[in-house]
Amino acid sequence: MEDRLLIQANKLSYKINDNKLFSNFSLSLSAGQAIHIKGSNGSGKSTLLRILGGITEPSKGFVDKKPNINLSYLGHKNALKTYLTVRDNLILLNLKGKREINNLLDLFGLNDRLDIVTGNLSFGQQKKLALIRIFINKSDLILLDEPFVGLDSETQEILSNFLNKKVSEGVGLIFTSHIAANIQANTVSISS
Amino acid sequence: MRILTTFKQETLKLLKKTRAWLGPILVFVLIMIAYPLTVELSSQNLSDAFYPVLFISCLLVMMLATEGIFLEDFEDGSLEQLVITGNSLYQSIIIKIFIYWLFIGIPISILGSLFNVGSGNTMDSSLMLLPPLMITTYIFLILFCFGNALSLTKGSVLGTLITMPLLLPILVILGKLTTAILFNINYFGFLILLFGILSIIIFIFPAIISKIIKTHLE
Repeated sequence: MEDRLLIQANKLSYKINDNKLFSNFSLSLSAGQAIHIKGSNGSGKSTLLRILGGITEPSKGFVDKKPNINLSYLGHKNALKTYLTVRDNLILLNLKGKREINNLLDLFGLNDRLDIVTGNLSFGQQKKLALIRIFINKSDLILLDEPFVGLDSETQEILSNFLNKKVSEGVGLIFTSHIAANIQANTVSISS
Repeated sequence: MRILTTFKQETLKLLKKTRAWLGPILVFVLIMIAYPLTVELSSQNLSDAFYPVLFISCLLVMMLATEGIFLEDFEDGSLEQLVITGNSLYQSIIIKIFIYWLFIGIPISILGSLFNVGSGNTMDSSLMLLPPLMITTYIFLILFCFGNALSLTKGSVLGTLITMPLLLPILVILGKLTTAILFNINYFGFLILLFGILSIIIFIFPAIISKIIKTHLE
């Protein structure tokens, strides 16, 4: 693999029983690039992200990743413990770099919610917390499945700017979204 | 370092979810208190019948304790995160089971030994009872975790049914062991046998469980 190449998907196909979701899908992403995966409902965008992340095995094809790549992924499940406070959910990651956490909490407006039980937060606030958890990890590649869902327009703008900044810093980004986002990304369509 | 982090994470999660560990312990205490109250036996019969009741209670309580042990992490996406970030699922499972044993298995073992004195048995027999109780609760915990992993999305009844054949040999050994304690004869052979079983399954079953969970995630 090239030095800057983070991930390469080669002729990926996926089918559930006899229902083919997509076939011969290929992409490659280098550091500092973003890809927006588009497709209709049920076209397999989320499955593709899971395959790229290594959770799901493709029916055909293979994925090559840079050795020792640090991946972050946020799918439909936010991996938050609703019975824990926001602070405890952050502690669960054994995070260092407290200044960065505080900056992100400020950015997403959760700095005054640290001692609130996560289950009492709104859907949008939980989504913000899940995103913060993803962004605190020092990742080479971020995979986001519908990151703008549940966020107000102001937060969508903040998130877009933040992701653009991450990409400009050399992080790779692959995301799916039905919401028009202001992210500098190549668009790839997925279909069977 | 990673082991310590996982240990802290799992401890925090279980500590904050009080009902997950306190509930089974209270159920155990309830059974131990209810047993002499509801059975019309002479004190001699009561103390003789105590051991089978104790081990069956341990079995039921560990079954209760492991219900949903992986389900929460599966449903909220924590297991996905674990796989995608390249952390060892196998290691996490070993630590998770160990922490459940620390929080539930050990208190139950100690309480079981104390209730043994309360049911008319000697303090010596209580001290003899503690090691097999600690080993047995760990074995039950691992076996029920295996059953729960198999039936992760299908409910705990199926998991329990799958686990039953694996539990039967353990129960047979426990029967022999309690007889040895009752007649005050050497029970170390049975204890070593139980320890041998534990030392094998303590590493093998988490590997199987992690494979099963990965299959569920796909």
